[in-house]
Amino acid sequence: MPNLGVIISLLIIFGGLAWLLFRSLTGREVKRRVIFVFIFVAVAAPILFPITFEEHATPVVRDLFDRIETLPRGSRVLISFDYDPAMAPEVQPMANAISFHCLTRGHKVVCMCLWATGQTLLSNTINDVILPEFPNIIDGVDYVNIGYKAGNEGVLNVIVSDFKKMFPTDVNGVPLDSVPIFDEINSCADFDLIVALGGGRPGPKEWVLFVGDPADVPVGVGVAAVVAPQLYPYYPRQIIGILGGIKGAAEYESELAHRHEQFADMDKPGLNMMGPQTLAHITIMAFIVIGNIAFFTGRRRKDR
Amino acid sequence: MKHKLMIGVLFVLFGMSSLWAQTEPVEADSAVVDSTELYPAPVSHLRATDKPNDHGHAIVVEWETSADDGGGKNNVVLYQVFRSMSFDGPFDSVGTAPAGEGRFEDIGSKDRSSSSFIPDDTDLFYQIDAVTADPAIRTPSDILDPVQSSGQWFNTGRVPVLVAVLIFGLLTGIFVTSAKRGRELYVRPIGGIEAVDDAIGRATEMGRPILYVLGLGTAADVATIASFTILSRVAKRVAEYQTELIVPTYDPIVMSVAQEVVKSSYFDAGRPEDYKEECVFFVTQSQFAYVAAVNGIMLREFPATNVYMGKFYAESLLLAETGSLAGSIQISGTDEIAQIPFFIVACDYTLIGEELYAASAYLGREPKLLGSLKAQDWAKAAVVVLAIVGLVAANFGWLEFPTLFRVID
Amino acid sequence: MNRSTYIVAAVVVLLFALSWVLHTLAMSGEADGVTRAFMVTMAAFLTLAIYSFLYKDNAFYKLAEHLYVGVSAAYWMCQGFWSTIVGNLIPRLSEGASNFFQQPYQASSWNVAYWIPVILGIMLLMRLTKNYGWMSRWPLALIVGTTAGLNFVRYLRSDFIVQVSSTFVPLLGDKELHPWLGFGAFVSNLDLSATGQLAALATNWVVFLGVICGIVYFFFSKEHTGVFGRASRVGIWILMITFGASFGYTVMGRISLLVGRITFLFRDWLGLIS
Repeated sequence: MPNLGVIISLLIIFGGLAWLLFRSLTGREVKRRVIFVFIFVAVAAPILFPITFEEHATPVVRDLFDRIETLPRGSRVLISFDYDPAMAPEVQPMANAISFHCLTRGHKVVCMCLWATGQTLLSNTINDVILPEFPNIIDGVDYVNIGYKAGNEGVLNVIVSDFKKMFPTDVNGVPLDSVPIFDEINSCADFDLIVALGGGRPGPKEWVLFVGDPADVPVGVGVAAVVAPQLYPYYPRQIIGILGGIKGAAEYESELAHRHEQFADMDKPGLNMMGPQTLAHITIMAFIVIGNIAFFTGRRRKDR
Repeated sequence: MKHKLMIGVLFVLFGMSSLWAQTEPVEADSAVVDSTELYPAPVSHLRATDKPNDHGHAIVVEWETSADDGGGKNNVVLYQVFRSMSFDGPFDSVGTAPAGEGRFEDIGSKDRSSSSFIPDDTDLFYQIDAVTADPAIRTPSDILDPVQSSGQWFNTGRVPVLVAVLIFGLLTGIFVTSAKRGRELYVRPIGGIEAVDDAIGRATEMGRPILYVLGLGTAADVATIASFTILSRVAKRVAEYQTELIVPTYDPIVMSVAQEVVKSSYFDAGRPEDYKEECVFFVTQSQFAYVAAVNGIMLREFPATNVYMGKFYAESLLLAETGSLAGSIQISGTDEIAQIPFFIVACDYTLIGEELYAASAYLGREPKLLGSLKAQDWAKAAVVVLAIVGLVAANFGWLEFPTLFRVID
Repeated sequence: MNRSTYIVAAVVVLLFALSWVLHTLAMSGEADGVTRAFMVTMAAFLTLAIYSFLYKDNAFYKLAEHLYVGVSAAYWMCQGFWSTIVGNLIPRLSEGASNFFQQPYQASSWNVAYWIPVILGIMLLMRLTKNYGWMSRWPLALIVGTTAGLNFVRYLRSDFIVQVSSTFVPLLGDKELHPWLGFGAFVSNLDLSATGQLAALATNWVVFLGVICGIVYFFFSKEHTGVFGRASRVGIWILMITFGASFGYTVMGRISLLVGRITFLFRDWLGLIS
C-alpha cells in the first residue's frame, strides 16, 4: 500500500502533465523553467517518499553475476576503479556490490585504479563495505589495494606481461613480492577475472583492447550509462557481462540480495535510485508524447 | 615315529598361532608395514617445452595424470610442479595444478631481480609430485631431461592481424599513389556538405553572419583536421558572397591554424582585403566557459547558420539547443559517437562519424585523404563479403573458415 | 550591480552561514566537526549555485564555475607532477631525488634509457618558447607515431577481426541452446521470453543485417541507388534506432546524476531523509 506522500506526489506530477497537455493543445507556449520544475518534482518526490520496484537481472548483468558466483573459491579477481565523482552515483553502487560479492564467494580481490580520482572512491568501497562487512579478512591475503598508477594505456601495456614492474608495492608501500595474494600472480594473465569500472578513457574499452583480448582473460564491466551502448558490440565474446548505468547496478544488487542474505540487510543505493529514475523517465516520455501532439496539432492549425 | 609326532606337534602349534593371528589382528608396527601401498601412482609421460609465441622466460610442462587421479586407490588432489637449474637440485615449487589437469605453464618474469625470474637459454629441470589430501603423502615423478626457454621474434598466433595489416596497407598505398598520379577517385555527394552552400547563401540574403565552431579537439585530432578542410570551403564561399564569418576557438594552436586556413581561403577567392584576423579568435580552454561564451555570441549576433564540425563532448547539446533558439540553420559533424544523437536531434544536418572524414576528402581532394578513403571502402567491402561467407560457413558446418579469424596470444 | 543584487547576495551568504553553524552544532561530538560541516555546506552551496543557471546566468553560477575551473586545473597539475614525474620517473632515475621526494627508490628498475623521456619532455616544453618551439615537433611526432603503431594492431584485432568473426551467427538457432528442429517445431514451441528461441533468432538476424546494411551506408565509392540504396536505407534506420537507444541511456545517466545530487542535498545537507 503506497503511503500518502507517494500518492500526493503522483497526483501532482500526473495532474501537472495533464495541465501541460491541455496547454499544448490550445497552442500556448510552455516555458522551459516549468519543465525543469517538473523534472525536479519527479526526482525529489520519490526521494522524500520512497517508491521501490522489484528488479530482475537481464542476461548481460546475470552473465557477470554468474561468473563471479561460479568461480572456484580462492580465484583471483582484479577490480579497476577508473571513474571520478561525476560518475560515482552510477558506478559506486556497482563497485560496492561487486566487491562484496567477490569477498563473500571467497575470492582474492586486487583493487587498483588508472584514474587519480579513483583512489578516493576505491577507499570509500574499502571503508564502507569491505572492512565493516568482512571484519576478519586480512589485507594482503584476502584483498589488497595497490592504488593508482599514472600512464593510462601505458600501464595496461606493461601489466599485461609484468604486473610488479608497474606496481612494485601496494598503497601502503609493502612490496608486492611479499604480499601473499601476489605469490602466483606475475601478469594480468594470472587473474581469473578482471572487472573494469568506469566509462571514460582509460576505461573498459582499453581493458578489453590491451589486456582482455591479448592475455585472454575474461573481462566484465560496470559503466556509466553514457558509455554502455558503445560496449555492447564486445558482448559476449570480449566482455562477459555489462552493468550499464544505475539500472545495471540495481539489477546486480537485486540478484545479490536474493542469493546472499548478508547483502539483503545492507544499503542498496542502486535499487533506491530506481524509484526517482522511473518517475523521471515516465515524465520525460510524457513530455515527448505531449511535444509530438502539440507539434502535429500546431501544424494542422497552421495548414487551416 | 617320534619325528612324525614332533612334526605333527609343531604343525599344530604353527596352525594354532596362525589361527590366533587371524582371530586377533596384531597391531602393525609402522616400521615394518609396506608403506608404498599408501602412496599414489606417479604421473607419467612427463614432457616440457618452451612456451611458443612469447618473449621467453616460460616453459609448458605436460604429463599424463596419475592412475590414482579422480578417486583412485590413493586419491590425488593436486599436482605440484618443481623446478631446478641442476639435476641434483635443489628443486623449488613453482606452482600447482588441480587434479584432472595435465598441463602447467611456468611463466616467469624477465626482470632479473624478480623472485619469479626464469633465465632464457639455460637448462631447467622439472619434476612433478602427485599429492594426496595429506601433503606429506606424495609421489614424485622422474626428473625430466633439461629444457630451455627462449623468446620468439614472431607470434604466429597473430597471423590474421598481420594479413589484415598487409592487405589494408597495400590498398592504402595503391590508392594514394593512384590519386597522386591524377586518377579520378569517385566519392559520392554527402548531404550535409551540399547543405553548407545553401546555408551560406541564406546567411547572405538575411545579412546575418555564419558561426563556425571547430570543437574542443586539438590540432592533432583527426576530427579537427577534417574540420579545417571544411572551414576552408566555408571561408571561400563566405569570401565570395562577402558574408561575415565568426570562428571562436577552444585551443590556441587550433586558432593559429584556423587563421591561416581562413586567410588563404580569402586569397583563393580573390578577396584578400576582406579578410579580418579578428574573425578567428581564442575564447578559453575551459569546456563550459567556452560554451557559455559561444552561447552568448549566438544570442547577441543571431547567426543565420551554425556549423559545428570537430570533436565535441557534453557541451554538444548546449550549443545546438541555443543555436536552435536563435533560429539558425545548424549543420554538424563529429566522430564522438556519444554526441551524435544530440546533434541529430537538434541540428538540421548531421555528418555521422566517418562522413566527417569523407566530407573532408570530398572537399579537399587531397590525394592522401582520397586514397585512404578508397582503401577504407575496399576494406568495408571485404568485411561485407567475409561476413556473408563466414555466416554461410558457420550455418553449414564449414568450421575451418571461422578459425581463420582466431587470434591467439 | 544594483541594490537588489546586493540584497540577494547578502541573504544567500547569511543562509549558508546559518547552515554551517547548524551543521557544526549537529557534528559537535565528532572529530573535525567544524571542517566537515563547512565541506557539506560548501558542497550544497556550489551545487545550488550551478543549478541556479537553469533560472538565468548569475554571479553565483559564475563564481562556482570559475572555482571549479581553477581547482580542477590546479588539481590535475599537481596530479601530473606527483603521479607521473615523481611517481613514475624519479624513483627510476636517482636515489637522491627519490629520497628528497620520499619515494622508494627502485634500484632494480634503473636504466639509462629513462633519461630519454626526460630529454623528450623538456623538448616538448620548448613549445612555449618562440625561438626553440620547433624542437617540440620531434617528441610530438614520436608520441603520435608510437601511439598510432601500438593502437593500429590492437584496434585491428579487437575492433575489426574479432568483430567480423562475431557476425558469424547461426541464423536458424545455435546447436547448443536452441537447435533448429524444423519450422513446425519452432511454431509449436514458440517462446516469447527474452531468453527464448524467437528472441535469439531475431537478435542474430538483426545483428547480421544491421552490420551489413550499416557498413553499406558508410560506403562512399558508389551512389546509393537501387538495391544498394535500399540496403543503405535499412542501415540508417538501424543507426538511428541505435542513436535513440544511446540517447535514452544518456538521459538515464544524467537523471542518475541529478538523483545523486538531490539525495545529497536532502540527506547530508537538509537531513530530510536518513
